[in-house]
Amino acid sequence: MSASSSQALEYLVLLPVQTHRKLYEQPSTVLAIFRCMLPHLAKSIVMAILYMPTAFASADLDTWFRPSAKKEKQQALYVLEQLHIIVLKQDAARQTSYELYKGFALSLRQALEGSGTHRSFGVPASKPDPHKVNIAFLDEYAKRQWENILFYMVGTTVGLGSAVGQDVGEGTKRLLQAGDFVRMQHGRLGITRTGFTFVLQDTNAQVWSLLIEYLKHVSELGMSETDVLSFLFMLGSLELGQDYSTATLSPTQLQMLEDLTAFGVVYRSSKSSSTFYPTRLAVTLTSDSGALTTSSDNLSALCRPGVGQAPTNQGFIIIETNYRLYAYTNSLLQIAVLSLFTRLTTRFPNLVSGKLTKESITRAVRTGISSAQIISYLTSHAHPQMQKNTPFLPPTVMDQIRLWEYEGERVETTNGYLMREFSSEAEYRDLLGYAEALGVLVWRNDAKRMFFIDQIEQIQSYLKKKAQR
Amino acid sequence: MNAIDATDRHIQKDEGPPPSLLAIVLDTNPHAWAHLSSTLPLSTALANILIFINAHLASGNGNEVAVIASHSHKACFLYPPPTPPTPQARHGTPNGDIEMNGVADTKLNGIPDNPNKYRPFATVETAILNNFAKLLDSTKVEHLSATPTTLIGGALSLALSYIAKSTLLHSPVDPSTHEDPLRALADSESTHAQRVPLTSRILIVSVSGDLANQYIPVMNSIFAAQRKRIPIDILKLAGDTVLLQQASDATGGVYMKPERPEGLLQYLMMAFLPDATARRSFVMPSAGGVDFRAACFCHRKVVDIGYVCSVCLSIFCTPSLPNNLCLTCGSYLSLRSATTNPPALIPRKKKKRRRAGGTDSATPAGTPAGSGTPMHA
Repeated sequence: MSASSSQALEYLVLLPVQTHRKLYEQPSTVLAIFRCMLPHLAKSIVMAILYMPTAFASADLDTWFRPSAKKEKQQALYVLEQLHIIVLKQDAARQTSYELYKGFALSLRQALEGSGTHRSFGVPASKPDPHKVNIAFLDEYAKRQWENILFYMVGTTVGLGSAVGQDVGEGTKRLLQAGDFVRMQHGRLGITRTGFTFVLQDTNAQVWSLLIEYLKHVSELGMSETDVLSFLFMLGSLELGQDYSTATLSPTQLQMLEDLTAFGVVYRSSKSSSTFYPTRLAVTLTSDSGALTTSSDNLSALCRPGVGQAPTNQGFIIIETNYRLYAYTNSLLQIAVLSLFTRLTTRFPNLVSGKLTKESITRAVRTGISSAQIISYLTSHAHPQMQKNTPFLPPTVMDQIRLWEYEGERVETTNGYLMREFSSEAEYRDLLGYAEALGVLVWRNDAKRMFFIDQIEQIQSYLKKKAQR
Repeated sequence: MNAIDATDRHIQKDEGPPPSLLAIVLDTNPHAWAHLSSTLPLSTALANILIFINAHLASGNGNEVAVIASHSHKACFLYPPPTPPTPQARHGTPNGDIEMNGVADTKLNGIPDNPNKYRPFATVETAILNNFAKLLDSTKVEHLSATPTTLIGGALSLALSYIAKSTLLHSPVDPSTHEDPLRALADSESTHAQRVPLTSRILIVSVSGDLANQYIPVMNSIFAAQRKRIPIDILKLAGDTVLLQQASDATGGVYMKPERPEGLLQYLMMAFLPDATARRSFVMPSAGGVDFRAACFCHRKVVDIGYVCSVCLSIFCTPSLPNNLCLTCGSYLSLRSATTNPPALIPRKKKKRRRAGGTDSATPAGTPAGSGTPMHA
């Protein structure tokens, strides 16, 4: 499970049971959820139960797991219960056993066997398209659309002129503001903390962030959330370079297609076209490999193919121990991102140079960019020469960036629940042990018999079950 | 295009389990399957295995599969399909995805467009079924009558070589060698530290017994797998061989001999699907009492007591070798004299006496002559 899909998971668990049940009617959705959302052990559990003729007794499950893996087991079961994939049953003899939710099991079997007539993996266009486009074109198209969005966010912030963002649709602009990625400040558009987090993510995670924001607003547009989600998961299981027919799509999904075209997730030759092509942004929604890399990686290499230099798609930034920074790039987007936290001084045709200063870092921190984000950006784009060192960046620079940030932060807050007033030590120990196993425990004080947790749902159900006994 | 779909980035790579490669060695011995046809026909078994492969591909985004048929007269790849020798055709097909180069495109046309099936699954299934049909078509009567068993040793070597190759090609190559994957292959040891490992395992679905005639090649494969830390899982549907039990035991794999082969899919899903990462949390079934007997090199029989060549450690069931020469290394072995003569007990006696005598006589005169001790007797 990667960082990008964990965002989608977080969104998914918050949905009500009814939505889950409805989602599980589509085999493509079920397969996508299984492939990218579930923790590794949860997958093993689901597969073990899938073709089991009877329910899986929880005692058997306990013996299947090693005693040392108790924590992992709890976490896997927790996710499965949250997504309503697994159901805990109690029979007359008070023996508990696990079962898969019927709809989920049926759909997953259909997905694995390729049976049924659900047509949820996309219907390829029957007629050959006269304007057939190739994969290189699709990549180019997706990259252009997506970079326009990124550049719209970053470019205006650093004042590269008001001309940027003209290619971005009004709907997309509204969505970015609604998601608090950018904010109007003093009549000027400025990037926010979430926005910067967004820019620094890899492309796949960016697409998910934007789509989740989109999902949060679909109900206002009168679209069904389930329809939208199923469509997104279906997109993830399509084949790059193949044209698909729009004939089987619902009205909601047709409307969505237009918005997704604006993001560069799908390509249509015209608005009335009866086919669509998924781009690399779409087909990698449910997998992490082969993601489209935007100019944050390799635009510089693409732009000057004639220059006899090794492609620098692994990175372009050099930092010296005296905080000087050299970036071999001519991409405006990259320069704009760098200028958020660097004092850039000179620009050459293929190189910009500048310095990381206390002033530039604290300014970035004030806009909501964290030191960890800056360091991870610099690390992931370090020049191959830098990558020969371990760690890639000079330790002095990394430490100083962190120290500059910490000057402004003295207190850290966690939202959660305080558990106290336990009637007995045993009860306290029991619940504390459970919370610790779940990994929700933040703080404890044995003398006062209190502890603090950041998630309560599972503790609640645990207490309820205990009260019933 | 190569620059656009740059796949791997250093960021966020540490999370999640590493991709896993599953090499399935399917024993397609017609004799053995004919025996099984009443309980588990080959077609049902193959359908179950295909679902199992899909489940494996779904379990991880980078997961790969290779299927090798171990037939009666040859061992061959079912998936990935044997391609004409273009250098990159076989490498890096995560999730069964087909590559967009010329070779793959021609093959693509053969796959029916099915909106009810996930495309990567369809690709793998079609390839396996086509190649399997081809293999059965090419099997002649004389092949069948020639041997009642299967070429498990060859299939295992194919699986191991494929795993070794994909481990090298799959993992991210460091930037200096990016343009030249062959160079990376050459000095794989030096760049090893930077790579994300591909965890691999082999699953042998075996139906034939009597594999002792391939003792040497199979044993060599087992040791190779052991060295590369590749677990060999065994699903023994019929017949029993000492050899495969040892394979799973030596490499830390799973050994199962289901009593009811009909429930094949459930056995596969529960015991064989978890990869190396998941196995750390599960109690995996293994062979209880492993039979460690070896097969002799001369008649391929499993022996209880054998004779071992002192030079090359070859095992023989009988001491009477032609010309008293070892069959493997050709060393002269006086096995006959060693077995006919009664065990030499006298030296031991001597030694005891001598020690006793040594302690008795404190005089230095007694020590220099070893010949002095018999005089006491």
